[in-house]
Amino acid sequence: MLKIFAPVILLVLVVAATLVTDRPMPRADFSFVNRGDVNTLDLQKMSWMQDLRVARILFEGLVANDVFTHDYAIIPATAESWERSDDGLEYTFTIREDALWSNGERVKAGDFVYSWRRAILPDTAADYTKLFQLIEGATPFADWRQEQLDEFASSPLQGNERRAEAERLWDEAQAKFDETVGVSALDDRTLWVRLKRPTPYFLDLLAFAVFYPVYPPLVRQYESVDAQTGLIQAKTGWTKPPDLVSNGPFMLTSWRFKRDMRFEQNPHYWNRESLNIETISTPSINDPNAAVLAYTSGVVDWVSDVTPAYRADMLADKMRFYEEHREQYESLRAQGLDMFEIDRRLPDDPRKDIHAIPAFGTYWYNFNCLPTLPDGRPNPFADARIRRAFAMTIDKQSIVDDVLRLGNPVARTLIPQGSIPGYESPGGLRCISDAMSEDEKQEIMAEARELLVEAGYPTPGDLPTIEILFNKDSGHDLIAQVVQKNWQEYLGVSVRLSQKEIKVFRDDLKEQRYMVSRAGWYGDYGDPTTFLDINRYDDGNNDRKYNGERYEELLDEAAVELDAERRFELLTEAERIIMDEDLPMVPLFHYMTVYLFDPDRLSGLNPHPRTEQNVYLFDVLGDGKGTDVVRTMPPLPPATAEAPTDTRGIEAGILDRDELLALRGDAADKGEE
Amino acid sequence: MLGLIVRRLVQLPVIVLVIYTLTLALAWAIPGNPLENPEGRQPKPEVIEAMKRQYNLDSFPNFYWSYLASATGVKYASDAMSGELAAERERAAAEGQAPPRRYIFDFGPSLQYEDWTVNEIVRDSLPVSITLGAIAILIALGVGTIAGIVGAVKPNSMADLATLVVALIGISLPSFVIGTVLLLIFPVWLGIGEVGSSAGPQDMLLPAITLSLPFAAYIARLTRMGMIDALSTDYVRTARAKGVSERVVLIRHALKNAFLPVLSYLGPAAALAMTGSFIVERVFNVPGMGQHFVNGVQNKDLFLIIGVVLVFATMLVIFNLAVDVLYRWVDPRIT
Repeated sequence: MLKIFAPVILLVLVVAATLVTDRPMPRADFSFVNRGDVNTLDLQKMSWMQDLRVARILFEGLVANDVFTHDYAIIPATAESWERSDDGLEYTFTIREDALWSNGERVKAGDFVYSWRRAILPDTAADYTKLFQLIEGATPFADWRQEQLDEFASSPLQGNERRAEAERLWDEAQAKFDETVGVSALDDRTLWVRLKRPTPYFLDLLAFAVFYPVYPPLVRQYESVDAQTGLIQAKTGWTKPPDLVSNGPFMLTSWRFKRDMRFEQNPHYWNRESLNIETISTPSINDPNAAVLAYTSGVVDWVSDVTPAYRADMLADKMRFYEEHREQYESLRAQGLDMFEIDRRLPDDPRKDIHAIPAFGTYWYNFNCLPTLPDGRPNPFADARIRRAFAMTIDKQSIVDDVLRLGNPVARTLIPQGSIPGYESPGGLRCISDAMSEDEKQEIMAEARELLVEAGYPTPGDLPTIEILFNKDSGHDLIAQVVQKNWQEYLGVSVRLSQKEIKVFRDDLKEQRYMVSRAGWYGDYGDPTTFLDINRYDDGNNDRKYNGERYEELLDEAAVELDAERRFELLTEAERIIMDEDLPMVPLFHYMTVYLFDPDRLSGLNPHPRTEQNVYLFDVLGDGKGTDVVRTMPPLPPATAEAPTDTRGIEAGILDRDELLALRGDAADKGEE
Repeated sequence: MLGLIVRRLVQLPVIVLVIYTLTLALAWAIPGNPLENPEGRQPKPEVIEAMKRQYNLDSFPNFYWSYLASATGVKYASDAMSGELAAERERAAAEGQAPPRRYIFDFGPSLQYEDWTVNEIVRDSLPVSITLGAIAILIALGVGTIAGIVGAVKPNSMADLATLVVALIGISLPSFVIGTVLLLIFPVWLGIGEVGSSAGPQDMLLPAITLSLPFAAYIARLTRMGMIDALSTDYVRTARAKGVSERVVLIRHALKNAFLPVLSYLGPAAALAMTGSFIVERVFNVPGMGQHFVNGVQNKDLFLIIGVVLVFATMLVIFNLAVDVLYRWVDPRIT
């Protein structure tokens, strides 16, 4: 009889073994769901938003953005001070004396040189290597190294000789870098940088995590010269605890794949007094619904990207909450408080935990600008007039109101309006949803059809069937259906939808195997070029193959313009060309980020449109740790109440809309009953 | 018995090789470039070319043979014998490098998660899946056997009908429905347990229940069938005639024989449960191995796809072998 139970006993033993070995850790002071799993913690290789967010917890750059100012002002971080030469080309940074790595070693100027060299070297294949090309000599150096490697690849050497040659080339490359690239350590505390041209947003770039330093003695142990290709190859491993050494507010104590990451205060961090939490954890939760439930049941304090479809209903609930406290809400808004602070001052209610914040990103449709389609037929979208006609006849408002239902701002420009202080967005092209009356709508439709006639398509049937390419998931299909309907109705063309797997979609986009496709972009740093550069002809992200002569000229001119105001004017004109004349893309709406957190319990988040959250600034209110004092954006003066950098939230926009009028009607009806 | 074990162990590499070849051929045919990011910034074309060369992604036969050599341990063994391993270690030590990490069975790097090797991913996720699977199979065994016995003792009674209905639900309701309902009832409404937590084994209970249902249902039907057969045999009648108590008749005499089909089902069931279920893992946020089958394919992460498939195939063969051995041990009549 005992024999029958043998498998049962075996299974019980397995479970018992896990119980003994896998002891749960105590809950961290603060726990949040990141936007996705971290792909890499190699600073110079990262590009994903979730990776960058964790990088800012672990590492610190020369400077940082003060996220509680309306212009994301630059503040000292690892560098205590810096000087800029009069021509704007040279920067000299002084690294603070008490800046230490998590192992107690000093942060040296040379650490930055080493890290930036990694980003510039073609060997590293850094996604953001382009940002470093601003440094004098970086581009020629990278080209030279690439040539050196190409030559080596075809060399007949074998065995140890080949290895020795590869190592010799690497030594040569290091020497060349020191000689020709404009970054060097004058001494341990002084970093000198020379730029190719004056770059007003250079300090803003330095606050971007790709420019933060890695710990060279650690990374060097994992880098070696590959004898076959001559490349410096980095092995994986150093980004994980206990090996990882970082210089930021926190250090990584545990990282279990697709399970969780855990951070504890870096005991050597120079500004430890500013920290209000001691431990942070980020469980990996990939299911949108599970993330919301994890918040509801108290496992996490902040969900940084709420994506279930019912989030629109949650936001509608919040609108109802505002409606119930309308008077108080409006008076708080009039004081110019930020949206989180407004929520804090309203009565306690779980409905107010959801927050929709305009993000520094845009969703648009690409037009393939090449003269022929992949199958050899002529491409109607090669003609800017056709692109304009199609761009004009999209009902963007309906996408925002009926599909997204998050209160996204309708986009008329590529760059979210008001997200960059001092930059004035162009007006953008008038589209069908801008029409205030039926007559105006007819007028726009007539204008669009006239453009088609001008371009040589007197009847809509002359145009080939238009195909819209998008990837499945994330609701792209619903948006495409609206656009399809619009174009069929307003232009009379036939439109086909083509939905593909993400990898196939990307491939098609890269090879211009499409007519119209969906696309999107989040800005990286506070300058218009973070958006405008992707339309440069040779840019790796110019999937449209747009080639605007005047556009290139304006960007080139702006690149060397010393006067900040004049430079922005040039960039505005450049954006006007792509948004009003050439239309290689038609912007549909700006992204919204939806957060879930209790404003009465959590402080430290900022509602700025750049939406960079520095988790190390967070404070769990009332936990007895840290100051427990709420941090908010400085109130906006009433005069600029409608200023574009309005951080009081998009709810304002929704509140005024028809939907809410209807809602108010509902409430009134109920009152009468 | 020994012959069986040897025979099966000889079969193992052949089976795994066939699975490897088929999986790789299919995975290779997935459209898209594994080195491209799904969103945002893209590496330069020359970088992609260099990486393709580095990972042998530019030629199917090269990849096939090189991966086979490293995953099966052939490469490790040959490097160890030729002294290359030692030389590598010395070279690293001389240059102040971290000692090279070499796995005997090297499944390669993950293309999507740059900081991780497939070995590390399996190391972190397989124990979670095994524990979850073990709990699920335990629950399934307990619930299934009891339900099966109840059904068999009074066939076509209300109790039998009830277990049949429950078993049908268990087999036919998809686990994302059951999982979501359990999540709503326990952590959300009743406040028992947590959602999205994977802090410890207590978080495994709800996913284990969800995972166990189809297995429990199947075991219940198997037990019921076996018990009905057994209860009508002569030796049971004899036992009853002797005056043996009904409990002893059921468990010691009837169940012992009725359990054999369940035992043979346990092999594949345990392998299936312990290598993870994508849906249960997703709904309950369990960091197990099942998700990597799906994510690997979606990202065209060749190394990950093949790594997890090889682990699964090996486990399946070994579990089946273990069940065969158990079977013969429990019932010596079988040879």
